[in-house]
Amino acid sequence: MIEVRGLTMRYGEVAALTDVSLEVAAGEMLVVLGPSGAGKSTLLRCINRLIEPAAGEVHVAGEPVPRDRAGLRRVRSQVGMIFQDHNLVPRLSVLKNVLTGRLSHMPTWLSVLQFFRGEDVRIALECLRRVDLDDRAWSRANRLSGGQQQRVGIARALAQQPRAILADEPVASLDPKSARLVLNDLRRAARELSIAVLCNLHQVPYAIEFADRIVGISAGKVVFEGTPAQLDTDALARIYPGLEDEPGSPAQPAPGSRHVPVELSE
Amino acid sequence: MSSQRPRFIIGQPWTAGDWWRWGIAIALAALALIWSARYLGLSPSELVKGLPWIGDLVWRMFPPHWSFLKQLAKPVLETIQVAVWGTLFAAVLALPLCFAGARNFVPGWLFHATRQLFNAARGINEIIFALIFVAAVGLGPFAGVLALSVHGAGMLGKFFAEAVEEADRGPIEALRATGASALQVVVFGVLPQVLPSWIAATLYRLEVNLRAATVLGMVGAGGIGFELYSSLKLFQYQDTAACVLVILAMVMSADYLSSRLRAHILAA
Repeated sequence: MIEVRGLTMRYGEVAALTDVSLEVAAGEMLVVLGPSGAGKSTLLRCINRLIEPAAGEVHVAGEPVPRDRAGLRRVRSQVGMIFQDHNLVPRLSVLKNVLTGRLSHMPTWLSVLQFFRGEDVRIALECLRRVDLDDRAWSRANRLSGGQQQRVGIARALAQQPRAILADEPVASLDPKSARLVLNDLRRAARELSIAVLCNLHQVPYAIEFADRIVGISAGKVVFEGTPAQLDTDALARIYPGLEDEPGSPAQPAPGSRHVPVELSE
Repeated sequence: MSSQRPRFIIGQPWTAGDWWRWGIAIALAALALIWSARYLGLSPSELVKGLPWIGDLVWRMFPPHWSFLKQLAKPVLETIQVAVWGTLFAAVLALPLCFAGARNFVPGWLFHATRQLFNAARGINEIIFALIFVAAVGLGPFAGVLALSVHGAGMLGKFFAEAVEEADRGPIEALRATGASALQVVVFGVLPQVLPSWIAATLYRLEVNLRAATVLGMVGAGGIGFELYSSLKLFQYQDTAACVLVILAMVMSADYLSSRLRAHILAA
């Protein structure tokens, strides 16, 4: 569903991404694992061209992502995005935030006058029900807890009825319980609605628990690709250079284990 | 014992050079002030000599002519109307322009051009605009409304633009990522974030405009200023006193209402 080939991006002299290639299939949850500053966010934003890559190709649903405004908007409408700080519009109601996921399907003039089709409202409410927040539809978005706001962010992405979802560190600012709720919602959406999910994470245990497949990135380069079971200490050392020096690090699961460390269980 | 002595500290210790530089700067400033005081004829003795006359003027204002208040009802209403319409037009002018004055929304040349336009509108006093518009559209409150609109648009444009610049970029990026059109991004991503501060700025402008509208009448641009001015010219000081008291009551209640409303809006 998402296909990235030879993606390269630099900020001035600094290479942010070097020749990154990966694929995500429909219904698959691919976790991109890597330390902060490895280029994970840049990778995501190059896919829907929020950032213009220096080189490389991106295909979404078999189609190259176009550069013209109309074509780009069409592709963006098929790709939901979830952000580390959820990026909800604070003063709008939860329902309206989710409805903004439908904007690309609405006539601009009607929507700016705050008229929404019944069908769009129905879809928005259904997406809120999926993340179990339909009872908060009329609350102001900024009145919700961090975890709830992030789930509204997922509902907004789902309201686009997307073929793919890009999630940029969706649980980085959440407590462990909220984090697992969010990742669960995300994985369930991927499977039930057959959406390709590309999710950036920097927490190894979450990647092992929730990913179908993991791509490790370090300093802008792909240094690992495989199943969670294949993510051994050797691979971790490549993703997080210098990590093996830190004794008792939580990022060292028993090789081949899908077991989740105790402190993360509910 | 010397460690007990209080030390005067306002920054890094001064060197001899610092003392010289500051000494010269202060001496120059003092000379300039003394020269301009001479030039302006500022003189305490003249003030002391004039005090009885000021006392006499104030004495003649008492008691204020309360009967004059009836004649002030219409000018007061006109003053408020001029202020309200002036504020409304200013906001309507500033609304589309403010996006062109937001650094992070438009190319640099457009941003600078728009901000210079705002500065020009803001830099020229309402009374000067009123004189120009009286010449253009004739005596009367319409000239006053136009003067307040142009001057106010400069101030509101700057305020609005700064609010847009301070809006959180996150939600805006999120809306762009959904494939929303540019107008949809503005309406759903920017407006909800800036609306409270826009409304607060507009209310503040209404307050300022009401104060300005009380003097527009002096140049024939409508409002209570005309009554104030003519009563002074006709030596009807008791009428003048009534005017001043009415203006004071009007401005103070507007300040009170507007600050309460603004606090309410910004807290919500």
